[in-house]
Parts: sequence; structure tokens; C-alpha cells
Amino acid sequence: MTVRSTFQRIEQFLFYRESDRWVSVLRIGLGLQVICLSLALRKDWTYLLSNGGRALISRDLTEAALNAESSFIPRLGWLIEIGNWLNVPEFVTLWLAWLVLMLAGCLLLVGLFSRIAAIVAWFLYLCVVRSVGYFSYGVDNLTIIGLFYLMIAPLSDRMSLDSIFWHRSSNRDLLPFVRRILQIHLCLIYFFGGVSKLAGIGWWNGTSLWRALTVPPFHFVNPDLVVRWKMFLPATGLAICALELFYPIFIWLRPTRTFWLVSICAMHLMIGLTMGMYLFALIMIVLNTAAFGPGLLRAKNPSLERHVAAHV
Amino acid sequence: MPHARKNVDKELAGFSRCGQADPAEVSSAIGFHCAQAQPLRRYRYLIGFALAHLLLVLTVCLRDTFATFALAPTILPTALKPFWNGADAAASFVLGEDLQLGNPARNVVTFYLNAAGIEAGYGFFAPNVPSNYKLVFELHYADSRTEYELPHVADAATAFRLESLLDRISEVSYEPMRQTMFQMLTYPVWQRHPDAISVRAVLGYVIWPSPEQFQRGEKETFEPVYAYDFDLRPSVPSVARP
Repeated sequence: MTVRSTFQRIEQFLFYRESDRWVSVLRIGLGLQVICLSLALRKDWTYLLSNGGRALISRDLTEAALNAESSFIPRLGWLIEIGNWLNVPEFVTLWLAWLVLMLAGCLLLVGLFSRIAAIVAWFLYLCVVRSVGYFSYGVDNLTIIGLFYLMIAPLSDRMSLDSIFWHRSSNRDLLPFVRRILQIHLCLIYFFGGVSKLAGIGWWNGTSLWRALTVPPFHFVNPDLVVRWKMFLPATGLAICALELFYPIFIWLRPTRTFWLVSICAMHLMIGLTMGMYLFALIMIVLNTAAFGPGLLRAKNPSLERHVAAHV
Repeated sequence: MPHARKNVDKELAGFSRCGQADPAEVSSAIGFHCAQAQPLRRYRYLIGFALAHLLLVLTVCLRDTFATFALAPTILPTALKPFWNGADAAASFVLGEDLQLGNPARNVVTFYLNAAGIEAGYGFFAPNVPSNYKLVFELHYADSRTEYELPHVADAATAFRLESLLDRISEVSYEPMRQTMFQMLTYPVWQRHPDAISVRAVLGYVIWPSPEQFQRGEKETFEPVYAYDFDLRPSVPSVARP
């Protein structure tokens, strides 16, 4: 391979002609995710985020631990301090934060003031997640990852209200570039998830799947039903590991891309339905669909590809 | 510009001596790079940022995977544990975790990792699905009555967060910190039961039966790990017992 063709290949890989459909998927999906997360946290919002006796674990303790890591990490304590300075009580500031987060989610959903909404949603959700600290789990980091990419992606897309009222993004060169980063990031997530799972005996003999389906708080399926199909547990466990481990290979190959994407989304859908992790399922499906979904039809239909390219 | 071209030619001559490429070809490639590969040139800083970002993601993934292999029970040979420990330390070093806490470089890297949501790896349910922890409050009353209560949250989605909290408490090695967390968790329970004279908070893990044991009718068992007693009577100092 010559140096020239290497440059060409890198350029073709990073800066090809790309529609903004993936940004639409990411924006709408993340808007929905932020709304659902806000609604899910609504009842326990002050219980998780207050300071002192009203909270399950005082926010002060979590933020002190955060401070030991780095004093630059955004946290709700900053907003509370601003509120205190303006004589706004803590619980009012907390509910204002919730309201603004919800509003940012709604704006992302419809695509109005998309850039500002993406930045606000990212910042507020980051503050919330870092302040709940010990209560955070996988869904939080994946939502922050999604919001981070949305924040740096070229907005607005053609499906947004912004594009109707104002204009579409001028820097369209970066559409494929940011999408590639998201795609590579997803490949790393799945590859390391698969490698770590394969190292555990539980994924070979089916124990891990049995536990994942029956141990509280994931016990959404009747254990009697799971035990009836126990002979399939080892094969299903290994299939999950294989899906994740080989994701970075087969998601890039045109003949296997659709199968792999549909399988991985089906896996997340099943996690949502059988383990009750709806929000985790939603964010993973959104990230996968945004990263590898748009263009699948085009890949199979060259005439459609020409048609889309003409309208980019 | 001619000066730069001269430097490029000088470098190409050295490159050619290694027998790797024909100078004319490389020169033409560089010409291509300057003239045609505009996006690569225009966005070179962004490409640099993306590379740094993905390298950080990779390093964090490697660190957590090595830590999993070093600490958790796996099918890998135990003789490799020192290697995984060393690899984990190397990845942590790259992330600046060996630097002092207040070090600006460490602060910046930690801030970026947190801001991008990439400070932790992605070994969900790996290498095995862990035992789930359970927190039980044992409430004692003046009339020798005893009641049991579990911590509760209003929404099912928060139940996953509570599970995550209990996992993390079990990992806290600093005893005063753990005791403080237990105190905080006990406080709302006492508020709901102000007539209780003492509360014992017990954290333990639930040993779940295998499919075969479940078929034989065996149930889950509770294995206590930490227990703390809190005396709620006024003027009696609370007693904590790990």
C-alpha cells in the first residue's frame, strides 16, 4: 500500500459524504433518554440529591469524595452555592435543575435550540451523576457519552425545528468524522465487555445468565420459567459474549452489519424486558442505531445511495 | 515554503535509504496531502483530539480489564495475576493516577475523563454476575419487640441505584467512611420509627441457588458482612460494630 493511498483511505474513512440522519437519531434518542431518566428520578430526586438528613446518602459526602479526585468535576454543589448566594433554598435549586434538565430533553427531542439544549443537558446530567456518585450505574456514563458526542456533533440536522426556523449546520465535513469516533468508541465498549465476560466461568456454564435473570433487583422473569430452559443458558451466554467480542469486526463488514446491529439491539431489548433495565436498553439502542443504523439501506441499494448523496 | 519543501526532500532521502519507498512516490503523496487531502489538513487538530480521546477510552478499558483479571475469579491461570497487576499499574500510570492528588495534569485528565463519561470501563456483568447485597434494618423497641425493614425507594429505576450503592459500600475499605454511610442510611429509618430505641443495620450478600439447587427447592441464603448498632436513646452514644 502506498503512502498516497493510505492518506486517501484515511480521508475516505473520516471525511466521506454523509447525511445528518445519524445526528437526528442521536438527538431524538438522547432527548427521549433524558426525559425518561428525569421522570424516573423525579420521585427520589431530593431523596438522592439533598444534603444532610433528608438524603439517603448526603450529597456532601459524595462531593467530598469527588473533590478528592478533582476539584474541576462539575457537581450540583456548584449550582446550590449559586442558589444560596441568590438566597434560593436548596430544594428550589434542585427542582429548578430537574426542570431545566427536563426542558433540555424536550428541546432535544424536537430539535429546538439543539446546541444549547445539548450543552445544558450534558452539563446538568453530568452534575447530577457526579453528585449522586455511589448511586450511579452504567446507564449514567453511557448517557453522558451520548450527550458528549451530541454536543460536539454538527447541529442542527434536517429533522430539527432549528433547520425549519433558522438554518442547517454549515460544517458538514464533521458529520462523518464525529460519527466515526462514536463508532470506534462503541467497538471498544463491546470488545472489552466481551473479553471480560469470557474470562468468567459463569458465562461459559450459564450461571451468569441464570443469575442475571433471577437475582433481585433484576428478577423480572419467573425463575421456574428460566429453569425450564436451563439447557440453553450456556449457549445463550456464549452467544452474548460472541456478539460483543466480535462486534468490532462484523459491524464493519457490509454482509454482516445488518445482522450484527439487529442482534445487538435485540440483546439490549431483551435486557430491558427481562431485567427491567429499560433505560440502559434505550441508551444502548440509541447509540448503536445512531452509529451504525443510518446508511444500512443505502449500503444495500446503490441507487438509493446516489439519491441520498444528491440530497445531502 | 521552498525551505519547507527542501526539508521534506531531505527527510524523504533518508526514508528512501531505508528501502521503504520511492522518493518520487512519497513526494507525490505529500503533494497529494497538501493539495488534495484538504479535510485531513484542515482538521488536523480535531484528528489529534479524536486520537487522544480514543486512546484515553482504550487505556481506561485496558486498566479496568486488567484490574478485573487481577482481582476477580476468572478462568485465566492464577500465575498470570502478577502480570495483570503490573499491566493495571501501567495503564493507571498512563492515566496519571500515580501523580499526587492535587497535581494539575492529573486534575485535567480526571476532569476530561469524567466530562466525557469515559472514566470507567465497560465490564457490565463481567467476569461474572456478582452476588447482590442486601441491607436489613433490625429495629428494637422498649417492649423487647423487634421489627425488620429494608431500605426503600419510590421508583423501580432507583432500585438499581440502591443496588449500586450497596455494592460500593461493601467495597469501602476506610472504616469511618463506611460507618458514616451506615449512619446516613439508618437515619431515615429512625425518622419513620421514632419510638425505636436502637437499630442494627446489617449488610450482607445473598447467595443465590444454582438452577439445579433451585429445582431441588433450595432458597437463597443471607450471609452478613457488616453490622452496625445505633442506639437512638437520647444521651446514649451510638455504638458501631463492624
